[in-house]
Amino acid sequence: MVTPTAISVKGLSVSYERKRVLTNIHIEVEKGKVYGVIGPNGAGKSTLFKSILGMIDINTGYIEVLGKNVEEIRKKIAYVPQRDEVDWDFPATVEDIVLMGRYPHKKILERINKEDRRLAAEALADLGIEELVNRQIGQLSGGQQQRVFIARALCQQAEIFFLDEPFVGVDMLTEEKIITILHKLADKDKTLLVVHHDLSTVEDYFDKVILLNQRLIASGDTKETFTQINISKAYGGQLTILNQTEGFTGN
Amino acid sequence: MQELFNTLSEPFAIRAIMACSMVGVMCGIIGCFIVLRNMSLIGDALSHAILPGIFVSFIFLGYSTIGFFVGSVLAGILSAFMITWIQHNVKTKNDASIGIVFTVMFSLGVIGISWLNSEKGAHLDLGDFLFGNALGVSNEDLVLTAVVMLYTMASVALFYRYLFITTFQPTIAATMGISVKMVHYFLMLLLSFAVVAALRTVGVILVVAMLITPSSTALLLSNKLKVVIVISACIGLVSAILGMILSIFWNTPPGPMMVVVSTFFYALAVLFAFEKGLFPRAIRRYNQSKKIEREDIIKYAFKFFEKKKLTISEIQQYLGLKENRIKSHLDYLKKNGLLSIGSGIGLTYKGKQKAEGLVRAHRLWESYQVDSMGLLEGQIHEEAEILEHHLSEEILDQLDKKLGFPSQDPHGSPIPPKLIAPKRPLLNIKLGTKAFIAKEQISDQVESELWELGLLPDSSITLVKVEKDVVKVKYQGRPLVIRAQLAGLINTKR
Repeated sequence: MVTPTAISVKGLSVSYERKRVLTNIHIEVEKGKVYGVIGPNGAGKSTLFKSILGMIDINTGYIEVLGKNVEEIRKKIAYVPQRDEVDWDFPATVEDIVLMGRYPHKKILERINKEDRRLAAEALADLGIEELVNRQIGQLSGGQQQRVFIARALCQQAEIFFLDEPFVGVDMLTEEKIITILHKLADKDKTLLVVHHDLSTVEDYFDKVILLNQRLIASGDTKETFTQINISKAYGGQLTILNQTEGFTGN
Repeated sequence: MQELFNTLSEPFAIRAIMACSMVGVMCGIIGCFIVLRNMSLIGDALSHAILPGIFVSFIFLGYSTIGFFVGSVLAGILSAFMITWIQHNVKTKNDASIGIVFTVMFSLGVIGISWLNSEKGAHLDLGDFLFGNALGVSNEDLVLTAVVMLYTMASVALFYRYLFITTFQPTIAATMGISVKMVHYFLMLLLSFAVVAALRTVGVILVVAMLITPSSTALLLSNKLKVVIVISACIGLVSAILGMILSIFWNTPPGPMMVVVSTFFYALAVLFAFEKGLFPRAIRRYNQSKKIEREDIIKYAFKFFEKKKLTISEIQQYLGLKENRIKSHLDYLKKNGLLSIGSGIGLTYKGKQKAEGLVRAHRLWESYQVDSMGLLEGQIHEEAEILEHHLSEEILDQLDKKLGFPSQDPHGSPIPPKLIAPKRPLLNIKLGTKAFIAKEQISDQVESELWELGLLPDSSITLVKVEKDVVKVKYQGRPLVIRAQLAGLINTKR
């Protein structure tokens, strides 16, 4: 059986100001799976996301999302940014944020209507934060904030979700809840890509991994791909340091 | 006073007030987006940069309201383009590029206009452009300002969504296929409109204040952007009108007066804004510290529970507070049924419940620090002493679960179990307020006891007094005494 492809990246290279960030990347992302995108700082994880999302100029390469150019299917992709990229003092309520998920479905002068609000309420309920609907976003805990942005992606009825380090600044319990939600989405044939840093949880969290360090180190089923050899290839000399710090925190 | 009214009913004054109120509204609305985008300096820049537009338009068209307007807007947009171009293509810092562009545009404008006056015999008063001139507003100006204001309001209403998302999260807007750049230049266009319309009344130097002061005030007052915009427009309107009236009265340039008035409102908000103001925050902190002191008294009394009663001086020594303050705390605690004060000070049943809750929070946090954070026994007490007043029931439940429901803290002292209580126990409702016996009770036992007392679901009950072991209530007009322990289990609803 041929698994349907969600994203196909062929020969992607990107550089910023003469500095090469990604070199000749080939990735096929399957539908209905939760992917962990793993690699050290500066490995180009965010750049990979931005390239697929069509937000930066790429040097070479060819990218298809759901068999099309990304510009044609923007409605179907949702991006959940890192928490520190958000201005938490902004005068916006939880509902304002979640309703943003409806924007791509609207024509230029079309108003937000009851149906949109219903979908927003549904998304909030799915994440168990319906009672926060009128709160200003800065008044939420880290975990609640993250859920609000995932709710927005749900409300958008996206097919593909890009999450950039969703577990940073989030407590363990919320982290577990979020990963459960992500897998539920995958069961509904949604595709999820998650930039992730904590190597100790990779095996539990992801169906597939993409190991990256400027080049593609490996991608595929977590069991076969997330091996000691591949990890050291991706992290190189940094891994020893990483192991030491993990030992130090006692996890 | 009569004189002021006479002056204000002159046509020139009415025109000036109408013009500045429209400017106040427009700047108030646009200003919200300018402030939220950290573009205050751009607002200042565009206002200064429009002067060369006036010079050029005068050369071609002479004194023409429309000419001045179009010329100024074009100069503003041109500056916005130049600033953005430098920021993207030249290695000059962002704010420096803004400064370079607007100062040179302003200088060119000043040189040009002075030259027109001296060489071409024009009568363009630079002072009027810089600080505004109440007398200078013509009917044509009024019509133009009205059109521009309506256009601005309609644009913001229709394209609110785009302004909102590109201001809050431009990256997300881009992934949704919204052209962030286009929205930026559209906003620059609206900004130029507002600035140019403000030229007559406020003057180029101070327009930026009309953009940022009312909106910054509004941002202190609300957490919802739509509300912020409305408040900002209102403050802009009121400050402009008041400022204009005062300036006519004292015969000063209107711009500075409007700025002073709007800053006065800003200062009020800084001090008194409900959530973010300095005074309300200080009051909340004060109340919080009172709450903590009261809870400390309860904990201290709990330490000697069943051993002995306390005296005021003992409590005073322990907490190190003034006697009056302790006395007012004791009054409060007694009134709320947490302490019983007779021969000495002791806890009531309700007070004991409260104390156990605090001890539970304290010891659970200590256990968490040792178990999960890897701290040593000697390092944990002080943080727990602070956090016991702040940990919510929800967090405590999570801690308890994570720690595996421990029965002892790291020092070996018992951790009081989670209180079994309904959602809204009779024991904890506010004294003197009416409540209703809820249909849902936590156990059959409670239901049958209620039945025996003759307390029926949905019937109203008033808590009159909480004593050491009993509570006194009023039920259907008659007094009734209920054991405090039972009162802690009876569920009520509003």
